[in-house]
Amino acid sequence: MPGASVARWSMSYFAAALACLLAGLALMAAGFGYPSQPAQAPDTLVVVHLVALGWLSALMLGALTQFVPVLVSQKLYSDRAPPIVLACHFLGLAGLLGGFVGLGRSWRSSVFLLPAGGLLLSLGFALAILNLGATLARNRPLAAPARIVAAGLASLPIVFGLGVVFTLALGGWAPGAGAARLLADDLSIHAAAGLGGWLTLTAFGVSYRLLAMFMLAPDAGGRLTEAVFWLGAGALIMLLQAVPGASPRLILAPRVLAVVFGSAAVAIYLWEVAGLFRQRKRRKLELNSKMSAVALAWLAVAAIALPASLAAEAPSPAPETLLFIAAFGWLTGLGLAMLYKIVAFLTWLECYGHWLGKRRTPRVQDLVREERALPWFVLYHVAVLCGAAALMLQWGVAFRFASLAMLCAAAAIGLEVLRIRRLAAVPAELAPPEGPPPLLFSRLRPTNA
Amino acid sequence: MSAEIVSLDLRPVLRAGGEPIADIMRVVSRLEPGQGLRLMTTFKPVPLFGLLDKKGFDHAESQLADGEWEVLFTPRPDRRAPAPVRTVAAEDALAASGAEWPAPTRFLDNRDLEQPEPMIRTLAATEQMRPGEVLSVLLDRRPVFLLPELDRRGHLWRGGLEDDGKTYRLSVLIREGRGETQ
Repeated sequence: MPGASVARWSMSYFAAALACLLAGLALMAAGFGYPSQPAQAPDTLVVVHLVALGWLSALMLGALTQFVPVLVSQKLYSDRAPPIVLACHFLGLAGLLGGFVGLGRSWRSSVFLLPAGGLLLSLGFALAILNLGATLARNRPLAAPARIVAAGLASLPIVFGLGVVFTLALGGWAPGAGAARLLADDLSIHAAAGLGGWLTLTAFGVSYRLLAMFMLAPDAGGRLTEAVFWLGAGALIMLLQAVPGASPRLILAPRVLAVVFGSAAVAIYLWEVAGLFRQRKRRKLELNSKMSAVALAWLAVAAIALPASLAAEAPSPAPETLLFIAAFGWLTGLGLAMLYKIVAFLTWLECYGHWLGKRRTPRVQDLVREERALPWFVLYHVAVLCGAAALMLQWGVAFRFASLAMLCAAAAIGLEVLRIRRLAAVPAELAPPEGPPPLLFSRLRPTNA
Repeated sequence: MSAEIVSLDLRPVLRAGGEPIADIMRVVSRLEPGQGLRLMTTFKPVPLFGLLDKKGFDHAESQLADGEWEVLFTPRPDRRAPAPVRTVAAEDALAASGAEWPAPTRFLDNRDLEQPEPMIRTLAATEQMRPGEVLSVLLDRRPVFLLPELDRRGHLWRGGLEDDGKTYRLSVLIREGRGETQ
């Protein structure tokens, strides 16, 4: 059947992801990991992976399960894979985090927990790539935004491949000197392919379509979008070239080229998305579009800061600040903004799609209370700004207060999303006869086509 | 040579708020070589002049008494036989719907509406129509969430991109009794 339906498990992904975001922010506010401890300390790795895997990757996996079918107008290849991916992802994450915690405290269990967690995570990602890839492959040739999503998916094996190698090295399964050198060399590639490849490229692909849809702008997909795809893919290939021994060395200075290609891709993407905002037919922006614009501004800041942070001398906090801005300003900012709208839209569709035309139904906007959510989004971004400044100035206490403010804001936004899902804002006479939907998954209705 | 000219009076459809451009292009795509087209419209259909020029037609327009227009499109000698209809309709057409459908009795232009307004309007219209009637809808993009809902309600649909590459044209044949019983 052509067309897309509400994905059954996306809400479970979103809920688990939000829980990880709040846990990560709480740890940061408590002074766990960087900057109280070194950037590569085991406790820092706990926070980093709680945010990068537990929050950002799970959010993106849940969103792709829903929106890859929309991008290509095809059903998801397998409806059975998403819960298995979800289980692998969070069990693997638990193992990995347990391993990191133990690493700082010399627990023997870390030796097994780290690689086991890494392998489970890889298994989940591999299954997700197969499922989403097979869905994309049903509608070739792909339009440029869908191809950018595919490039993001293609970054994942670089990320989890290196990640598994790291877990083996940290677990003591690889000889010492070589492992230490590997960690030092490839950590930046692991981070760049994760944040820049997997998370940022998929966010590009999905946001092209969603922003155009929400703002009534013409769909992107012309030559500039093509250029973003090719530059993104080029940056990835350069990253792969930079991994020692991963492929024959064909190119000098692949890292520099990866930065050049990546920055160019970001610049063109921002230019095109700014065009979507300019050409939109819907003059009054909804909260999610406004907050996406703030996230896009953070992306611009990160792209401008990238060369500076690479040029910085070793003890500079610039690279950590850059990662903070990319993870919390850009990706989390966009993620929270989109989550707010996506949950409203999917919940509306699930509750009222089959009643349309048959009885009075609320509008999607009737499910949200933007005036309640707006102050929290503002607080969140102000706190990110303060947190970035505190990191640059190496002012640990201020960073913890900024993290606390981010935690409060994210928790409040999470509660607003929960209220949307519970239909709290919908007047009683417009409530669906079946009652509000289940919190963590979506009711499916059979199609008889 | 009047048989060499196909006439279309679009005035009733236009007055009812319909968007007949897709119908026009469909008729044009079926014209034999040498066949012309006469249109009666409620305004001067300037956009059509360029579209049909590309397809090998010259035009001559004349204003009728009450602000309405008659346009005659005549094929240039080099106009070739029509290419097969290039919409993606075949991709979407349900197997059961191979036969000709009745002419649409209701038209909706759901372009430039914020989501999910196009879906709401389309489903509202299907609920008001009688079985056997056909609804014709213009959309900005392929309505990915609407199509499964039409399936669930038991209606048949055909859709595809129009020649402009942007407008998605959806036709829905209303059927009764097959959808879920809510």
